[in-house]
Amino acid sequence: MLSIAQGELIQIFRNRLVMVTMLVLPVAFSGFYMYLQDRIPGLDAGAVAAILLFLVMSMGLYSTVVTTLASRRQNLFLKRLRSTAASDARILVGLLLPVTAIATGQSVVILTVLGVVTEAPAHPLLLVVAVLAALTMMVGLGLATAGVTNSPDHAQVTTLPLLIGTLAVSGWVGFTGTEELTLIKRLLPGGSATELVVGAWNGGVPLADSLLLLAPTLAWVVLALLAATRLFRWEPRH
Amino acid sequence: MTKTPVIDVRGLNVEYGDFQAVRNVSFQVGKGELYALLGTNGAGKTSTLETVEGHRSATSGTVRVFGHDPRERRSVRPRMGVMLQESGFSPDLTVRETVRLIGSLTLRTDRVERVLDVVDLTRKADTKVSQLSGGEKRRLDFATAVYGTPELVFLDEPTTGLDIRSRDALWEAVDRLRADGSTIVLTTHYLEEAQQRADRIGLMHRGTLRQEGTVAELTRALPSVISFSLPATAPEPPLPATREGDGTFVVETLGLQKDLHTLLGWAQDHAVELRGLEAGPTRLDDVFRALDTADA
Repeated sequence: MLSIAQGELIQIFRNRLVMVTMLVLPVAFSGFYMYLQDRIPGLDAGAVAAILLFLVMSMGLYSTVVTTLASRRQNLFLKRLRSTAASDARILVGLLLPVTAIATGQSVVILTVLGVVTEAPAHPLLLVVAVLAALTMMVGLGLATAGVTNSPDHAQVTTLPLLIGTLAVSGWVGFTGTEELTLIKRLLPGGSATELVVGAWNGGVPLADSLLLLAPTLAWVVLALLAATRLFRWEPRH
Repeated sequence: MTKTPVIDVRGLNVEYGDFQAVRNVSFQVGKGELYALLGTNGAGKTSTLETVEGHRSATSGTVRVFGHDPRERRSVRPRMGVMLQESGFSPDLTVRETVRLIGSLTLRTDRVERVLDVVDLTRKADTKVSQLSGGEKRRLDFATAVYGTPELVFLDEPTTGLDIRSRDALWEAVDRLRADGSTIVLTTHYLEEAQQRADRIGLMHRGTLRQEGTVAELTRALPSVISFSLPATAPEPPLPATREGDGTFVVETLGLQKDLHTLLGWAQDHAVELRGLEAGPTRLDDVFRALDTADA
């Protein structure tokens, strides 16, 4: 498992395109948001945190998970790995470990910077839980999307709905709250995770209410994994 | 075979939707044997092989490798090496990194340098896979298959795209594996490779295993062939011969030595020149052609 992860890490550092997506884009977008934070007084720090987080999770993590899996399948690397003694679960964990670790690191850096620039989060521990929930959901959705993606190029199309969708939902929920259209906003992918991040950052929400928000996110995880087990393919279509 | 066979396939069927790729195939491969699975494209040999390797599940029938279901990777894979028909390596990893990664995942132990030396890729150790030629990729594939000298090695068309020197080197490496007691399962398009090296051959055609046996057993049932052409003035030849479009006479015979003697004696007596004379036992190609005509 770790040897697969090591191999992936080497490949990430050798492939410039993946490098750009993984490192430069989310950081650049985050910088832009921080610039806005300076210009617009009274910008909701919790909402900004949620959007920054989903930028990393969708552009850095989700799309890379899909592209990586599609590319490893297309060049038969997945089949090659399955010719060894490694189990399917270990292969997947090994392949996704570096991307996930990098996305986690990016989130930590970006949120820390935001905490320093604006104000520290009210409930750091709850924020960690929220980040982990969002991370698990995006990896799960990535696995499911990889199932309907034929090639790395195709991934640019197949990732679009959830990439744009989760970003839009996090912005919408982050800035307009969940007073209205509560159910829809919470059920959309990333909606309740955004609300959880906002609550954890700004405070003022009872803990029990916050934890309840984990349910829709975890439901998306379960749904994504169910879809992944049905849709995921290890070899290209003939 | 007194011991448990290394590979035991019984009543294997593989279907993809409506298409039946493999029909009721059964065969065994004993320890130390080199078994060649031959067939035309679409004969079902890769489907069969991939089921035995554990890449595919059987629609029905049983497949056992070392007495286990081949999909139990933990118990079966450390004992077997697989050379796939298409390599499947990551283009951004170097040759050394690839062998180290795949090798370590087999759970066998070996030295990367030794394996690279076997396939003559030592000089390419730090080259990225994307920069290898087709033949070099095949050799890399072979290197990962023989990492740690496994008891069982699958070679799916191993010499396709190799030049003669690499081909000889590969067969030398296979011979060394066999000297160490390894069992080899091979598919190939090059019939002479199978003819020269296989202990037994399974002939697949349209999803079924049509014939199985040693090369001698497979060719024994078919007649030998004598062919020649005659000058226009020559008398009728002494043997029942069919005449091809270009005027070549073809004699099929089960008594090659006797008939050839008759023919040569007749030519001597009548002072006839036998042009383009050829005589020989049935080749494996002919076994294939016989299968095709039997179906037509």
